[in-house]
Amino acid sequence: MLLVNIIDLGLGNVSSVENWAQKSLLSPKRVSKPSQLNDGLIIIPGVASAGEYMLRLKKTKLDQEIIKRYKYGQKIVGICLGFQIMTNYSEEDSGTECLGLFEGKAVYLDNKRTHNGWEKFKFDVREFENDINFSKRRKKTISGRVYFNHELKVEINDNSIIHVLDNGITSYSFKDNLFGFQFHPEKSQKTGVELLKMLV
Amino acid sequence: MSFRIGSTVLLDPLSLNALQSYKFQQWRILGKISNVLAFLNDYEIDEIHLIIPSKGKSKKSINAISKISDMFISTPLCIGGGINSENISEITKDPFFERLVFNSALFDNHSLLNQLSKDMGRQAIVGYVPFVIKEGILQIYNSENNKFIEVPLDFWESVSFSCNELILLDSESEGTKQGFNFEVLNFLKFPFGRILISGGVTSADIKTAKRIGLAGVSIDNSVLHTEFSIKDLR
Repeated sequence: MLLVNIIDLGLGNVSSVENWAQKSLLSPKRVSKPSQLNDGLIIIPGVASAGEYMLRLKKTKLDQEIIKRYKYGQKIVGICLGFQIMTNYSEEDSGTECLGLFEGKAVYLDNKRTHNGWEKFKFDVREFENDINFSKRRKKTISGRVYFNHELKVEINDNSIIHVLDNGITSYSFKDNLFGFQFHPEKSQKTGVELLKMLV
Repeated sequence: MSFRIGSTVLLDPLSLNALQSYKFQQWRILGKISNVLAFLNDYEIDEIHLIIPSKGKSKKSINAISKISDMFISTPLCIGGGINSENISEITKDPFFERLVFNSALFDNHSLLNQLSKDMGRQAIVGYVPFVIKEGILQIYNSENNKFIEVPLDFWESVSFSCNELILLDSESEGTKQGFNFEVLNFLKFPFGRILISGGVTSADIKTAKRIGLAGVSIDNSVLHTEFSIKDLR
């Protein structure tokens, strides 16, 4: 079984992500401090606020450990809030300095809108395989739908691969060994399970 | 973004059975909640609204929520019933749901909604408003005192600010196939694009809801008792 580290700071939907990993036949492990991390995929979950989440990442020194492991090439996945804090800065909680793995920021949607619901998702790893390290699997494409539930969006300003929806929301972004998803793959039924299998 | 077709499931906090409700008055046991949620999950319904009919008895709610927290649901989940200022931090510590549903807090606990908005974001807050229309007057349900009351002054304005979406439950049609009473929309001051309707919703109602730009519907009986295709309804 392939290993998955799920960052567990007493915030975020850790159990949902854990279930998602198990459903994808992976072996998840909750991680609350740097010494608990193994060499498997690292997942930063969502469903929390940026200010408190970053505070706890810094307190546990997991912020620096995640940055270090990114530089060494370990795969890191951010989901919703986890994706937003991979940027330099989030507008949430009166402004929060974030990890800076992607050059960019998370900003509130226009007119204090929120974005809840399902969007179509088509994905072909062959489009990215020269730049991004996906798993070597026979299945190369996913065609389904993914679930969004958020009030901030990510704006990327580096040369990352990005996919933007018609409404201007960045759906996902990849760079090197980084995978950021604004949607919730762990709540996207079959599509989410297929996606995780492609990542590891 | 697509129109959503969800399902409402009531949970008995003591037996952990799913309940079917008729006209907001009678309940019938449907079976273990784990089986019902697994069924809806396999059915790939767009979202599940899991409501504990607590009527102010929050201790039972938190026990029930903790008991179902390890169920694997890969479908978006809203939960509600008995969530208050005392238990909110326990409930949101490791959320296995994306959103929370509130009723009594809409009337008198704005600080709870404000705090949750800071902790989980406004997208996580859904208002649950069962209603009846009596002699042309809208009455809405307050679970704290288990009564339908006339709409308080500034209620819609306040709810529009604190809640991302509303579930409007036609309590007189709940559990029947008589159709949702769309007349309620004439009374509201709340954006249609953030409203889901529930209670007696039929296939024709789904078409109407789509046409007038509602966010979606939450089906009660039909999804659990009738074999029909969610894909066709979409």
